[in-house]
Amino acid sequence: MDNFLIPRGVRRTSFGNFLLWLLPWFAMLSVGLYAIYLCLAEGLFHTNMDNRFAFGIWIFLDLTVIALGAGAFFTGFLLYIVRRKELSAVINSAVIIGLICYSGAVLVLMVDVGQPLRAWFTFWHPNTHSMLTEVTFCLTCYLIVLLIEYLPIVIKNRQLRQIPKFLVFEFELHKLMPVFAGIGTFLSFFHQGSLGGLFGVLRGHPFAFREELGIWPSTFFLFVISAAAAGPSFIMLTTRLVERITRKTLVKENVYQLLGKVSGLMLVAYVLLKSIDTLIWINSTSPGMGFPAFEYYETQSFGTWILFTEIVLLGLLPALVLLSSRLRSDRRLLFGAAFLVCCGIMLNRFVMTIQTLALPTLPFDAFLTYLPSWQEVAAFAFVIAYGVILYSLTYRYAMVFPQEKELNMSYAAQNEPADAPVRGTMRPGLAMQLLQKFMMLK
Amino acid sequence: MLPFVYEFHWTPFHVTFLLVFFTLFSMVAATLVLAFRRTVKNDSPEHIEHVRWHTDFADLPTALKACRHELRGDVKHRTCPNGFDCRTCTVHSQISSRAQHAPSLQNFEVYGFSMSPYRLYHRGHTWVQREDDGTFTVGIDDFGKKILGAVRSVELPPIGSRLYVNGSGMLVKRDDAEVRVLSPLEGEVIGHGTEKDEWYLKLRAENGDAATTHLLTADEVPNWILREMERLQASFATAGVGVTLADGGELAPNFHRHFPNADWDGVLGQMFLQA
Repeated sequence: MDNFLIPRGVRRTSFGNFLLWLLPWFAMLSVGLYAIYLCLAEGLFHTNMDNRFAFGIWIFLDLTVIALGAGAFFTGFLLYIVRRKELSAVINSAVIIGLICYSGAVLVLMVDVGQPLRAWFTFWHPNTHSMLTEVTFCLTCYLIVLLIEYLPIVIKNRQLRQIPKFLVFEFELHKLMPVFAGIGTFLSFFHQGSLGGLFGVLRGHPFAFREELGIWPSTFFLFVISAAAAGPSFIMLTTRLVERITRKTLVKENVYQLLGKVSGLMLVAYVLLKSIDTLIWINSTSPGMGFPAFEYYETQSFGTWILFTEIVLLGLLPALVLLSSRLRSDRRLLFGAAFLVCCGIMLNRFVMTIQTLALPTLPFDAFLTYLPSWQEVAAFAFVIAYGVILYSLTYRYAMVFPQEKELNMSYAAQNEPADAPVRGTMRPGLAMQLLQKFMMLK
Repeated sequence: MLPFVYEFHWTPFHVTFLLVFFTLFSMVAATLVLAFRRTVKNDSPEHIEHVRWHTDFADLPTALKACRHELRGDVKHRTCPNGFDCRTCTVHSQISSRAQHAPSLQNFEVYGFSMSPYRLYHRGHTWVQREDDGTFTVGIDDFGKKILGAVRSVELPPIGSRLYVNGSGMLVKRDDAEVRVLSPLEGEVIGHGTEKDEWYLKLRAENGDAATTHLLTADEVPNWILREMERLQASFATAGVGVTLADGGELAPNFHRHFPNADWDGVLGQMFLQA
């Protein structure tokens, strides 16, 4: 039914199957849309956040998806600036994932902040004392860059490229892509950093507060490096997931190996810096504010295990696996390590938001508990559903993985017997003739 | 969010921040405008054909972009960086000057395909023959015809129109697929038609023989056809198994009828070098 839209020479499931696949995601999208409507129309009392617990699941997951979406800028940087051509095999996927992550994060932020019709106030009346102003500016700007990077993927669709203007525009945009990649890298560097920079002004929460190195706190750099480590791992995981779902090989092994190596290198740098930062915090920053660091880990379920898990199990361990070419060549270890890296970034963002706010600071404070309301969960489920739908549509109608054709070069009908038509249509070659003679002699 | 707006102060931080932000924003906008301008400015048919081939070629699998000198055995491995256009390739001119192969004078068969020593061949399965009056005749080669099979219609370019190397030559339509056959030459169409179920174009090329240096000569054909056969076999190989010992040989008559449910759109696109 929609064959005329599907790229030439690749297999896609039938239109009916595709609709069935989309159905549950659309259901999830509808529930999320209703939850978003409730929050925007009636207010944030639908959430379980309050004035004390202002960072809920939305901010925690926002920080996580923005870090995971960093694969877009980092892959673009490696491909267009460092000229690692192998990564052209995953750049489209990285851009789509980046777009989904960033647009999803902006959407949820809009629900969180409220009054979307006044969103432009952020730009016209900026709070110049807030790190988040820079984050807003960079996010908006980078989202525009991602949309521009996404455009060529869409207009390269089989039917759209028949329109000469689209064809030429895609070609011209592609030539200018290093400029966008450079700008994207700059913007990403700063907004990832500024999200971490927030903890330089969080003096009321000494658990997360970090002292400045120059004009930025250490978390500024840690956020940038951790995102650069997690981004490639997330690209690996999502690509592998698409391979498993579609039952196809979509990229060559060397691409995974390169992504794994890059992720490992960035992660080892991160673990090193994070360890130094933690030691400084334990021995200087926190005691300097009157709080022995280990007091934080005596409360409720947030014991020292969380620190160990974050730095060693989800940091050092996958870093060592990804850095060793022997271990990395084992696919289970490679993807297992990539999964741990993504879990590690998630745990880090959880610690920096939820754990930070839950821990008591003042003598009369109690340990705060927070469980997200269904509206909060549904609003974020909206982002996941939207992401899956956008990715599925793009995968079906655009050439997301340029190596797909090369790696799946079989155009024989899937329902035909495995060998009969192939043998029946060719006269035996020399090798086959010799084999037949040999068998007859026998 | 301008300097005269609420909350702005003439401090180095504010000025630097706004300057950086506006510079980046302007760069994004300017780059986008530049792409638009180039698109509007470069809308000539030649440029469109060039872009179409450039993007198609970029999307071809690496193995398909092997240099003609790799096929011939002059170099061990080389991927063509020029979109199969050897006219400006320095490597081609160097190798060709030292490796001269004597052409045969009789029609010959390669894996069951009939080839002529008097014709030049394009990687997109067309042939070119220079006529006595200096014009060129262009047609689809035997390999191309056999894999095209039963054709519903062929759209030929109108007389007087201009073709470009690797641009659109003919549009061949089957019931289940449509394929652009690439033009092997640049020149003006001075005639076209069909003879014994064979479509042809007559072209007048400005540069005479120099316009054909990118085309394969008779001595290059066997190795090229071998590669094409391998590609064809790989196309019909069982997914996950690949080419097996049982595959190979020559194409059986009415080859295309044995695969009624195959993705012919994909096969023809691949064999005729299209994305």
